[in-house]
Amino acid sequence: MPVEPALSLDNVAVNVAGKAYVRNVSLTVPKGEVHGLLGPNGAGKTTLLRCLYRAADVTSGRVHAQGKEITDYTHQEWAKTVGALVQSSGLLAGLTPRDIVEIGLSVLDLPAHEYATRCDEALSLVGLADKQHQSAGALSGGELQRCYFAQLLACDPDIYVLDEPTNHLDLHYQLVLLDEVKRRGRTVLMTIHDLNLAARYCDRVYLMSEGEILAQGAALDVLTRDNLIKHYAVDGQFVGKALELAGPILGQLDQLETD
Amino acid sequence: MQTRFPILFPTVLVIMCAAAIAGVLWGTADISWSDRFAILMQRDDAPRGLSLIVWQWRVPRVLAVALIGAGLALAGALMQTALRNPMADPYLMGLSSGASAAAVAAIIWLPSYLTDFFGVPLIAFLGAALAFLMTLGLSQHRGQAMDPLVVILAGVAVSLMFQSLTAFFLYVGDPHATRSAIGWLMGTAAGTEWNEVPLLAIAVVVIAFLFMAKSNALDATLLGEERAQALGIRTNRLRMMIFFATVLLTGLAVSVAGIVGFVGLIVPHMARLLIGARHRVLLPMTMVLGATVLIAVDLLCRTLLAPEELPLGVLLALFAAPPFIFILRGLRRAG
Repeated sequence: MPVEPALSLDNVAVNVAGKAYVRNVSLTVPKGEVHGLLGPNGAGKTTLLRCLYRAADVTSGRVHAQGKEITDYTHQEWAKTVGALVQSSGLLAGLTPRDIVEIGLSVLDLPAHEYATRCDEALSLVGLADKQHQSAGALSGGELQRCYFAQLLACDPDIYVLDEPTNHLDLHYQLVLLDEVKRRGRTVLMTIHDLNLAARYCDRVYLMSEGEILAQGAALDVLTRDNLIKHYAVDGQFVGKALELAGPILGQLDQLETD
Repeated sequence: MQTRFPILFPTVLVIMCAAAIAGVLWGTADISWSDRFAILMQRDDAPRGLSLIVWQWRVPRVLAVALIGAGLALAGALMQTALRNPMADPYLMGLSSGASAAAVAAIIWLPSYLTDFFGVPLIAFLGAALAFLMTLGLSQHRGQAMDPLVVILAGVAVSLMFQSLTAFFLYVGDPHATRSAIGWLMGTAAGTEWNEVPLLAIAVVVIAFLFMAKSNALDATLLGEERAQALGIRTNRLRMMIFFATVLLTGLAVSVAGIVGFVGLIVPHMARLLIGARHRVLLPMTMVLGATVLIAVDLLCRTLLAPEELPLGVLLALFAAPPFIFILRGLRRAG
């Protein structure tokens, strides 16, 4: 039986002020899979994700979530189905981490008791339970990222769109939070710069450059030495060393977790 | 911090009512306590002249300054949210400079029959609206999303242009007319009449309810443009609503009392320090605080140098600067 596609992009192009940032991108994320968009800075990864959380419009092509086209959803309905972790700075004076999680939850019309339970669970999951009533403006970059992670985990939409989810996070929380996302079995499309994490969490990755998908498949098939040298323009020796190191380190972490 | 709201809001509400009662009881005319009571109860033995002062002069004035304080503070809080900038205020989009230039031009240059026919308030309102449209026009760029920083810069440019026009009018104008124009520029609620109150009241109440209903969307806007969009908020639409509400509130306030600064900038910060930034508590708190501050300052303006009256702007700046510094320190602590 074919797996139901939760999120699909069909020939999507995005132009901003006449310049093409994304060209003819097609991809399908089956329900429950984690897919990663990789590529150098300026490859169009974030622009593509912006269309998925409706901060930008698709110039041409189609986007479907759970079989329904994006334009057939209202903005609010879409936000209930597709939740996003994004890069954006705000005015946080007078807000607490708990406020931030609650603001996200206000999208869903939840009964009061569930509202509080979800907030408590998400904040303790990201390790901010003891700081939930402090000023959000005084949080460190990593704590703030965890706070927004808590917002998304509390909403727990069917589809997660993550733009550099590990930004500012220490190694512990990179693994804890991505493990949690994976454990929940939701459909995920994320951009991620850490190729080791991409290899660890993504069922499928897309290598993007200049707005196009140049290679796709299982992480280890796409993250070849040749592809990395060509698209990231890095020294071949360095890549070899990095790939060589990545395997054992991630292997050891797995070992630690099973212990 | 919102948990403090059930205690703090009624407290400030009581202080506001006390200030309003004081604003009616005290003023430039000295009235004995027995007369004050007789006038307030509208008894037959109340002196007619003093009764007229209280009911036709002080009551509408206190109501007007309360509504102006509430309206400007509300507009300030909304602008700070819309532009995610703690320095934003209701006049940011050139509204005060536009209103000033138009009013000063009318007072100094227009033939008096024209000024009397349209009235300085309407002319000032139109000036504010013109400045707003210019700022909005300068901020739009080929159908792209509006950048809050560009709006602020456009507002500064439009303000500077109208300020230099105002300075020019004052410089070349006849000294007598110039004095009357300067009085208007500093803001005063003197001479407010009953017929000015209903329109202000309707605008403030309707706009307050409209945005109270949108408090979740306003909260999301604080988190950043893209985070709000990801939560399903149509940020451009919300921002335009805020801009139009601000023009209406500020334009009406300016038309009744001239330029009343600081309330729209500082009061929202005071409210945030007291009960946090969630709009369903912030907006009502901001409005009641704004009304309280302006009623109190107006009362001081009337009584400090009685029988002379001080313009609102003079005392507001004097009283607003120290708390502003205190608030800035508080904001820095809050990060």
